[in-house]
Amino acid sequence: MASPLDPPGPRPDPPLLLVGTDFRCAPLELRERVSYKAEEGEELLVHLLARPAVAEAFLLSTCNRTEILLQPRDEDEAYRTALDLVFLKRVPDLEKPGRLYVKRNGEAARHLLAVASGLESMVLGEPEILGQVKQASALAEAVGAEGAVLRRLLRTAVNAGKRARQETALGSGAVSLGYATVELAKNIFSGLGDSRALLVGAGETARLVARALVERGVGHLAVANRGAERREKFREEFPEAEILTFEERLGEIGRSDLVVATTGADEPVLTRQQLQEAMSGRPSRPLLVVDLGVPRQVEPEARRIENLFLHPIDSLEHLIQRNLKKRKEEVPRVEEILDQELVHFRAWYRGLSAEPLIARLQKQAERIRRQEMELALASFPPETHEGLERLTRSLVRKILHHPSTRLRAKKGEEDLPRLDLVRELFHLDDEDPDGE
Amino acid sequence: MQTVLGAINVLLPIAYLVVAAAYGLLFFSAHPLAARTATPALCITVLLHLVYLVGLAAQHRQFPAATVSQALSVVSLAVALVYVFVEWLGRERSTGFWLVSMVFFFQLLASILARPSAPGVANFKNAVFATHVSLALLGYAAFVVAAVYAFLYLQLYRDLKAGRYSAFFGKLPPLEVLERMMLWALRAGFVALTGAVLAGGFWGERNYAPGFSLHDPKILVTLAIWLLYAAALLLRRLRRWQGRQTALASLAGLCVILFSLVAVNFFFTGFHGFR
Repeated sequence: MASPLDPPGPRPDPPLLLVGTDFRCAPLELRERVSYKAEEGEELLVHLLARPAVAEAFLLSTCNRTEILLQPRDEDEAYRTALDLVFLKRVPDLEKPGRLYVKRNGEAARHLLAVASGLESMVLGEPEILGQVKQASALAEAVGAEGAVLRRLLRTAVNAGKRARQETALGSGAVSLGYATVELAKNIFSGLGDSRALLVGAGETARLVARALVERGVGHLAVANRGAERREKFREEFPEAEILTFEERLGEIGRSDLVVATTGADEPVLTRQQLQEAMSGRPSRPLLVVDLGVPRQVEPEARRIENLFLHPIDSLEHLIQRNLKKRKEEVPRVEEILDQELVHFRAWYRGLSAEPLIARLQKQAERIRRQEMELALASFPPETHEGLERLTRSLVRKILHHPSTRLRAKKGEEDLPRLDLVRELFHLDDEDPDGE
Repeated sequence: MQTVLGAINVLLPIAYLVVAAAYGLLFFSAHPLAARTATPALCITVLLHLVYLVGLAAQHRQFPAATVSQALSVVSLAVALVYVFVEWLGRERSTGFWLVSMVFFFQLLASILARPSAPGVANFKNAVFATHVSLALLGYAAFVVAAVYAFLYLQLYRDLKAGRYSAFFGKLPPLEVLERMMLWALRAGFVALTGAVLAGGFWGERNYAPGFSLHDPKILVTLAIWLLYAAALLLRRLRRWQGRQTALASLAGLCVILFSLVAVNFFFTGFHGFR
């Protein structure tokens, strides 16, 4: 496992330490054991903050990843603390090589931005992660675990996530069967709110499709199923849905705009003739029929019916693969956005770190002025002392005005090495501004 | 004036081509520069087009529809204005490439066929005749718009039928919206063409135009167009036809209109032909 310890040196980023595990590193049975509910996360953050090595902390725990991001006072100690408290205490197996990843400073900051934008998600560009980052940030804020640096970094991450979705097509196109069904419907009907959907079958696949349809505001949802038990279970989850017996499905098709077949039957549950009859009562309205069953639940010959669009599961898989390919093509544009947001974050941090340097520079100049004045004043008549005092103060102020202004200017990453140059040129590292 | 109008005549198809390319980039690759420039470029080009037609009207002191070139240019401007209105109304730019391409095609034909000086047509001073011509051109413009929506409808219909997710899929308005737009344009065009036929018949009977004959190729073709659209709308109304058949009829109608506007006027000139 990589050590988080690096010699501190001139750096554009604040000290950050991120330790985490995700779907690439650990199987579900390990991940679920280091998954933290809100109240557990709150308790963990309080424990972490009680350690002197930790200045700020943020915990992100989803079904696909658990990550702890710290602003450490002591990197080595903070690393051990995070490792033990967050991971090894629950799953000692995570100490095996490759189970955890460690990222520091700029790399950690960039990783958080990539997570928020969906680049690190199991399903590239999935939208839920941004909400999860916001919730985790709210929790850290409530506990008082977010300081200036993490608060700013999280705001930057959320902004990067929003921009990735608004300015690129990373989140566009459905990548699940439920949303692929919705996407097909949106290409046919002018509004899902005016559409009626019929699900034939009430199993897990039907519920997935129903969730997507309800979330996207389908006008009317009906489900027809053979088994009463599944019908009841469906009714519990979707109380707004109309529950029909299996036989009632044929009458409902004529009123529906979208029919999704999800039963596990060996024989087709919808034949060409049944669909033809249903269409004869609605000749000018299109009908979308999605067959998610294997073997097929809808007779393939139904495809020939005018204004009826039959899509078997392969067709939806094809659509999902097409959308994933398009999302992958957007990754370089998202990376650009992350770079831009990191430049802003670094400029902010640089501005934060320039102030103590400017104070040191001014105090050093003032000390030199006083030393020289003490030596020189004896050679001048007393009535000139006040004038000399004013003159030298003014000289120092004017000489330092431009450098101070430039140091405060937040121009971006390219200016960052200047702080170190100023420190070196004026020997500011040897100075203790408060030691006078 | 002549030189300026000549220059605009050359410039217009080029400008529409550039605008169509911008909308094409927007449609196929969502290019950010195209997203910013397409609409302003179209508005500027439409203004230039308007200036051109007003200039022609001022030069010849009559409505600029006395030649095939002028009529095509008026149809082209009307289609462009319809699209500007549709975009303004629905903030919907996915059909821009196709409609502006059609505008470019019509204006290109108009510019190629343009002659430096068009003979005046005294009949334009007659209100019935002016109404006849204006309604005919308005109807043709509406049928062009309907044909574009019909084309897009058929593309999306075929993609959805075959489960083939081509460049059209996900970028166009839904199938129902395309069908609705096509039907609105067809109805508007049919009403305008009916008005044009009635006004033309009334004017022809009253004025006994030299050579006036119901067997004139232009009149026969126009009646064929009217019948084709009437049949398409009636069958759609009776629910015998669905979107696909209506869309095919709309495309067939556009072919006959093009034949009527260009071929009939050049090769079957009767009393009704442009001079």
